[in-house]
Amino acid sequence: MEFVIHHLLTVIVFTPTVGAVILLLHRLFGGKSEALMRWIALWVAVITFILSLPLIAGFDRLHPGMQFVERVPWIRSFGLNVDYYLGIDGLSLWLIILTTVLTVVSILSGWRAIEHHVREFLIFMLLLETGVLGVFVSLDMFLFYLFWEIMLVPMYFLIGVWGAERRIYAAIKFIIYTMAGSVLMLVAIISLYYLHEQATGQPTFDLVRITENLKTGVLQLDPRVEFWLFLGFALAFFVKVPLFPLHTWLPDAHVEAPTAGSVMLAGVLLKMGTYGLLRFNLPMFPHAAAELTMPICVLAIIGIIYGALVAMVQPDLKKLVAYSSVSHMGFVVLGTFAHTEQALHGAIFQMLSHGLATGGLFLAVGVIYERRHTRLIAEFGGLGQSMPVYTGMVGILALASIGLPLLSGFVGEFLVLVGTFTSPIEHAHAFTVLAATGMILSAAYILWMFQRVFFGEIKHPENAALPDVNGREKAMLLPAVALVIVLGVVPNWFMRKMDMTVLALERRMAGVAELHQPRRDFSNQRVSASTTIVNGQSETEEVTADGNRRLGN
Amino acid sequence: MGIEGLGINYSAILPEIILALTGVALMLMEAFWPSRSKRRAGLVTLAGLGIALMATLQLWGAPRQTAYAGMVIIDDFRLLFTAIVIIASVLAVFLSWNFLEEERIQPTAYFALLLFCAVGMALLTSSHDLIMVFLGIETVTISTYVLAGYRRNDLRSTEAALKYFILGAFSSAFLLYGIALVYGATHTTNLSAIQAALNQPLGEAERALMMVGAAMLLIGFGFKVTAVPFHVWTPDVYEGAPTPVTAFLSVGPKAAGFAAFLRVSSLIFGADFDLASAGRALQSDWISALAVMAILTMTFGNLIAIAQTNIKRMLAYSSIAHAGYVLMGIVARDWQAVAFYMIAYTVMNIGAFAVVALIARRGDEHVLIEDYSGLGFRQPTLSFPLTVFLISLTGIPGTAGFVGKFWLFKSAWEAGFSMLVIIAVINTVISAYYYLYVVIVMFFREAKREIEPVPLPGAFGFTLAVTVLGTFYLGLLPTRVFYYLNQAQTAIAHLIH
Repeated sequence: MEFVIHHLLTVIVFTPTVGAVILLLHRLFGGKSEALMRWIALWVAVITFILSLPLIAGFDRLHPGMQFVERVPWIRSFGLNVDYYLGIDGLSLWLIILTTVLTVVSILSGWRAIEHHVREFLIFMLLLETGVLGVFVSLDMFLFYLFWEIMLVPMYFLIGVWGAERRIYAAIKFIIYTMAGSVLMLVAIISLYYLHEQATGQPTFDLVRITENLKTGVLQLDPRVEFWLFLGFALAFFVKVPLFPLHTWLPDAHVEAPTAGSVMLAGVLLKMGTYGLLRFNLPMFPHAAAELTMPICVLAIIGIIYGALVAMVQPDLKKLVAYSSVSHMGFVVLGTFAHTEQALHGAIFQMLSHGLATGGLFLAVGVIYERRHTRLIAEFGGLGQSMPVYTGMVGILALASIGLPLLSGFVGEFLVLVGTFTSPIEHAHAFTVLAATGMILSAAYILWMFQRVFFGEIKHPENAALPDVNGREKAMLLPAVALVIVLGVVPNWFMRKMDMTVLALERRMAGVAELHQPRRDFSNQRVSASTTIVNGQSETEEVTADGNRRLGN
Repeated sequence: MGIEGLGINYSAILPEIILALTGVALMLMEAFWPSRSKRRAGLVTLAGLGIALMATLQLWGAPRQTAYAGMVIIDDFRLLFTAIVIIASVLAVFLSWNFLEEERIQPTAYFALLLFCAVGMALLTSSHDLIMVFLGIETVTISTYVLAGYRRNDLRSTEAALKYFILGAFSSAFLLYGIALVYGATHTTNLSAIQAALNQPLGEAERALMMVGAAMLLIGFGFKVTAVPFHVWTPDVYEGAPTPVTAFLSVGPKAAGFAAFLRVSSLIFGADFDLASAGRALQSDWISALAVMAILTMTFGNLIAIAQTNIKRMLAYSSIAHAGYVLMGIVARDWQAVAFYMIAYTVMNIGAFAVVALIARRGDEHVLIEDYSGLGFRQPTLSFPLTVFLISLTGIPGTAGFVGKFWLFKSAWEAGFSMLVIIAVINTVISAYYYLYVVIVMFFREAKREIEPVPLPGAFGFTLAVTVLGTFYLGLLPTRVFYYLNQAQTAIAHLIH
C-alpha cells in the first residue's frame, strides 16, 4: 500500500501492462475462455480507473508545480542522462481520468463486436492505455518520446487487424503520418538537450527544468533556433491534433478502426497533440508561438469551418463524427493560441468535452453498426420509435457536441470564443466571428443527422425490430452521457484544478513582447491587468522552483 | 632489428590464436576421426569461440599498447569489437545448426570456415597498420566467398558466390592500390605514422598521391561495409547465400569492417592537424565525402528496399540503409555510438534472419514477403519475435534500434552535422513503411495458401529468446552497456579526440 501511495502514477501507468501480461500468461497456461479474457481486461481497466481517482482527491489546486512526482535515474552515461521522471499538473490531471474512463468503455464496446483474436485485441487495448497514460505523465523528454512512439504500435494493430475493409491503407497512413511528424520532434529534443547542456553544463531531458531555464533566461535561444525548435515540436503535435491540412489521415483511421479504436483515437489520442502544444510549445518557445500565432489561428479556423462543412455532407455516420472532430479540435488549437486565460481554460476544457462527447458518439455508432452492419445515415430513420433509450442517450451526446448550454461542449467552446474575442492577437474579433459560425454549422450537421436517423417514420422494416440498448451498452454509454452533463453543470469544479497551470501559461505568454504591440486600448488594459497578477503571485512562484510534492507527504 | 624489436606479444592476439587453433583442430579431427556428427563439430566450434571470448574479455582494461612492430593494437575499442564479432559468430553457429542437417552438409569444413572468418574479423578489429587491415579483410572475404556458395547445387547460391568473389576481388584491388599510394606519399603503412606524416606540409606530388590513395581507401572500405554506390553486390549475395550465412554476413564481417574503417578514419584523418599540414586539407574532404556517402547509403538503401518482394533482398537493402546510419557515427568519429549500434544491429538482425531462415526452410523456398501472409496469429512464436525485430530496425523507442539510432543522431548533431541528422530521421520514416509492411502481411492478411506450421528447433528457440531479450534489454536498460563503453572511452580518449 505504501508503495502504491508513493508511486501512484507508476502504478496507474503500468497496471494495464500487468493486465496484458496476465492475458499473455493465461495463454501460455492454455486458457481458452474468451469470456474470462474479457472480464480480466475489463477489471484491469476498471482497477486502473479506480486507482486514478485518488489523483483528483490528492491534487492540490493551489500548488503551481508538478505533483505526485516520481523520479529515479534511468539511463546514465556521460553522454546521455535520462530520468524516469513522472508528475502531473492541472493540464494532465483530467486527461488521465479521461483516458482511464474511455479505456473501460472501449473494452466494453468490443465485447460483442470483436470476434476473432480477442486476446490480442485486449492486450493491445491495455498496452495502448499504458502508452497514452505514459505520454500524459512523463516529465522527461526522452521518456515522453518513448511513450509517444510506443503507443503507435498497438494502435497500428488495432486498426490493421480489427478494422474494416480498407484497414491496411488506413493503418499505414496513420503510422506514416504520425511518424513523419514525430521524428522531427526527436531532432528538436536532441538539439534542445544539446543547447541546454552547452548553456548550463547540465545534460538533462528534464522538461520542467529546461522550461524553467528557458523562462528565467539561463538558457537563451536565438530567435531563429527557437522558431525551428517550435516547428519541430509543433509539427508532431499538429499531425496528431490534427490541424488542417494535416488531418487527412484522421477520417481514414476513424472509419476503418473498430469502435474501440475510434473511441480511443478521438477520445484521447488527439488530445496528445494539444497536450503537447500546451506542455512544450507555449511554455518553451513563447516568442516563436507569438510569432506564428496568426498562421496557426487561420489554419485552426479553416479546420473548424472546413471540418463542419465536410461533416455536413457525409452519408456515413462514422465519417460525420470523424470530420466533426477536425472541427472541434480546431477550437482547442484556437484557444491554445489566443493567449488569454479564458481561452486556455476553454481549450483544456474542450479537450475533455470533446473526448467524452465524440468518444460517446463513436460508441453510439458502434451500437447500431453491430445491429445493422451499416453506418449509412440513409439506412436508418425512425429509430426513436424502436430504440427510445438509445435515442435519448445519443441525443444528450449530440447536444453536448453542438454546445448546448448546461452540457460540456458549451463551456469549452464558449470560453474559447470569449477568450479569443478579448485576445491581444490581431483580427481577434474576426476570428471569433468565424469560429462561432463553426458552432452554428455543427448544430446544423448534428441535428440534421439526428433527425434523419431517429425521427420520422421507419422507412426500412428491419429497423422496426431493432432491440434497444442492453445492459452492457447502457453501461458503456452512461459514463460519457453522465459526464457531459456533470461537466456542463459544474464546470468550475473541474476548472479550479487547472487554474494554476493555466495562469502560469498565460503569464508566460503575457511576458512576451511580440504580443504586446499596442493595437487597441482594450488589449492594452488587459495586458496590464495580467501584469498585476504576475506581481501578486510572485510568492507562489518561488514555491515552484524547488517545490514538487507528493501525495502523503 | 632484433627479435625483440618486432614486439612479439602472444597475449595481444590470444583471441585470434585460439580461434585459428580451433579451426585447425576441427580440420585435423575430420582427417583422423571422420564423423558426420554436427554436434561434435558444433560443440568444438562453440567451445573455441567461448574461450576466445573469455580471452578477449580478460584483456579488458589492459593499458593501450601495440605489438608486432605496430601491426596490432590492443585497447578497449578493439576488445569490444572483437567481442561483437565473436558473439555474432556464436549466433551464426546456432542458426546454421539445422541448415547443415537439412542440406546434408559436411559440418566440419563449414564451421572451420566460420572460425577462420572470425580470425579475420578479430584481426581486422585489432589492426593498426594498413597491411594488417588488408590481411584481415582478405581472411574474412575468402572464407565468406566459400560460405556464400555453400549450397553447391543451387544456382542462386553459386551465382552469389561468384559475384561476391569477382566484386570482392575487385574492391580488394582498390584497397590495395590505395594502400600502395598512401605508402608512396607517407613512406609507411602504420596508422599512427601516417598521421604523423600527414601533420607535415607534404610536397605537391605527395599530396596528390595521398588524395588519390585516400579515395581508393574510401572505395575499398565502401565495398566492405556496403556503402552506396559500392553496394551493388550486396542484394544478390544476400539473396543467394544460404540464409544463416546471410545473417552472419550482414552483421559479423560488417561490424569488423566498420571497426577497421573507423580506426583508419579516426587515426589518419581524425587528428588535430597543424594549419599548414597536408592532413588539414585532406581532413575536410574526407569528412565531406563520408557525409555524402552516408546520405546516399541510407537514402538509396531505404528507397530501394520499399520495392522488394523477397524478404532476404529487403533485409539486404535494409542492411545497406543501416550502414548509412553507422557512417554517420564515423563522420562524427564517435566510436561509442558506432559500437553500440553494431551491438544493437547484430542482435536484431540476427534475430530477424533467424525467423527468415526458419520460414524459408529447405532450399530457401519460402523467401517472398507474400509467403508470410497469415503467419501472424497462426504462429505467434515466430511472428511476434519478427515483429519485435522489425520494430527495432525501424527504431521505435523501447527497443535496441532506437537507443542506437538516438545515440548516432545525437553525436552527429553535436558534431555539427544537423542536415545529416534531418535526412536520417526522414529515412527512418521511409524505413517504417517497408518494415511495417511485413507486419501487415503477417497479421492483417489471410494466408494465400495453406502452409503447414514450421517446427521451432531448440537452437532457433534459443537464438530467438536471446535476441528478443537482448533487443528489449538494450532498448530499455542500456545503462550497463553504456557504462562499459564509457569506461573504454576514457581509456583511449586522448587518441580519438
